[in-house]
Amino acid sequence: MSSNNPYIPMPVEISNITNEVDTNDIKTFRLTFLNKEDEKKFKYLPGQFAELSIYGKGEAPIGIASSPTEKGYVEFTVQRAGTIVPGLVTAALHNMETGGKIGLRGPLGHPWPIEFLEKKNIVIVGGGFAFTTLRSLINYMLHPDNRSRFGRITVIYGARTPGLLLYKDELAAWGKREDIKTIITVDKGDETWTGREGFVPAVCKEVAPSPYNKVAVICGPPIMIKFTLPVFFDLGFYKENILTSLEMRMKCGIGKCGRCNVGYKYVCSDGPVFSLAELEELPRDF
Amino acid sequence: MLKKTTIDKLPDLAAHLMEQGTLLAPVQEAAGFNFQVIADAKQVDLNFHNTVLSPKAAFFPQMEDFVRYQTGKSILEAVPVELNLKPTFLFGVRPCDVKSFTIMDIHFSGTGLVDPYWQKRRQAATIFGYAFDLDQPAQAEEFYKTLGIGAADPDGSDVFMIRKGGDLLLKGVTLKGEKLLTQLSLLTAASADEEKYFEDYIIRGRDFKTRFTFLADKNIAKKLEDIFHDSDFWMKVSGACLSCGVCTFVCPNCYCFDICDETLFSQGIRRRVWDACMFTDFTLEASGHNPRTQVFQKLRQKIKHKYSYHVRKYGVISCVGCGRCTKHCPVNIDIFSIVEEAMKA
Repeated sequence: MSSNNPYIPMPVEISNITNEVDTNDIKTFRLTFLNKEDEKKFKYLPGQFAELSIYGKGEAPIGIASSPTEKGYVEFTVQRAGTIVPGLVTAALHNMETGGKIGLRGPLGHPWPIEFLEKKNIVIVGGGFAFTTLRSLINYMLHPDNRSRFGRITVIYGARTPGLLLYKDELAAWGKREDIKTIITVDKGDETWTGREGFVPAVCKEVAPSPYNKVAVICGPPIMIKFTLPVFFDLGFYKENILTSLEMRMKCGIGKCGRCNVGYKYVCSDGPVFSLAELEELPRDF
Repeated sequence: MLKKTTIDKLPDLAAHLMEQGTLLAPVQEAAGFNFQVIADAKQVDLNFHNTVLSPKAAFFPQMEDFVRYQTGKSILEAVPVELNLKPTFLFGVRPCDVKSFTIMDIHFSGTGLVDPYWQKRRQAATIFGYAFDLDQPAQAEEFYKTLGIGAADPDGSDVFMIRKGGDLLLKGVTLKGEKLLTQLSLLTAASADEEKYFEDYIIRGRDFKTRFTFLADKNIAKKLEDIFHDSDFWMKVSGACLSCGVCTFVCPNCYCFDICDETLFSQGIRRRVWDACMFTDFTLEASGHNPRTQVFQKLRQKIKHKYSYHVRKYGVISCVGCGRCTKHCPVNIDIFSIVEEAMKA
């Protein structure tokens, strides 16, 4: 956020664009700060988000996909929105090229509870496009400075097709490491796919992580969440130890504009990270 | 020390304040009274019951420009709009509306990140609270007594004013208010009798009759939480609602806003504008998902936000019982009755 005004974005430049999927509608934008002081002030942890700001179009709240251990830039994986309502900001962003300048407001919201995760075994479950802040968390935990702070890491990540998996190079790299167990699944493979097929909930059931000293961090489409949660209940996970990140329409991102209000919480400033126990206290209004 | 002037000399008092800064005061318009920036001291008119719109726009204008830019140009050329505020005198605010400012303070500047626009406008302002006329009955829609607010409560004002016949009695409530009054040379010292009248009036104001029901903040908050899923109740009370949002626009405590970009040719402005939870696209996400599409869900959100969520988050009901929402609702939805019904449900 610029100076002392949380509504004014700081300027950033798009230094790299990665086309993530074969449908060409999800890209990762690497942003570098144009003012060095802004970079110093932008201290974040995995799970937080920021408002991407394009004058003339508007702002969109997007989870931070890079890890704070990556220095000199911050990354956002953005889907071109607008099957029903045109997404002005995401469409404009997708039309931009390297060197383009946009605005950034953040970091916003609460991160994944890193201290709570320390010394625990972590099961990360992701579905489709909702893997961005989980990628941030994984890369953060895998960093040599941090790896010893966490126990075993298991990642279960699924997408509809192989072409829709995000961060393919990283997935492959994690697959070769000894200190992380990576299980990738697709709903339906293609002729080149040699990996696992099956829905995320079924894979979770098969993998059946023991709940002992474990935390499950789950992000995905509502349908995946709906069928995955009972699997973890049946395995004996505490509701306090199942974490997720909530989405609501947002504008200000700092708990003032009232838009993302659910019960007595503002998703932007009180979340977006919530435990299942916390979510059960809220009205089903999201 | 209590000061006084006469209603006849109101234009002189207004002129003095205008010399020192911006004066916002009630002015008669075609549809009723409203606060306006005073250009002519004779416009100030205290012969009103309450204004159509609440005075919240003094600190939270319907449109607040954040940034000006030119489309197609670099973000580096965008210019944030600076607030160069003169001292502001908000004159003639009824006690319930003054209370609304202190409730809004908790949200905008008392918790989390500070909203710089609200804070700067608040700091620049001196509030002249103005007691209701206790010799006239309260209007049918008003229920501020239910929320513990008296008709002549000076709390939250810098200067508090009570009318006594053709006289206007003024007392400094805060140091800022007291200092200002000593500078206004046209004011004279009030008598001991008038001092007594002033103090008695405040006490009488506490017993002033408006619609009343016993409402403990935490009880109503809990009750509304309990009946969240009682769709029959919410559908019944919202059956006539048009989702027009007028209740939120006249409300002194509704603070929801949108941030939008407006462009005309190459000129662009990013600004915030009032928004309302009563509008369908308020919660519409880019994916097409919308958690609140039905009218009953939206009215439930509005009422629960004020009487339940706000109590749990900030410890206070976000309503001051001014009755504007009921008065201006085109289909006569009455928030007081809904809260009463909810307590019985």
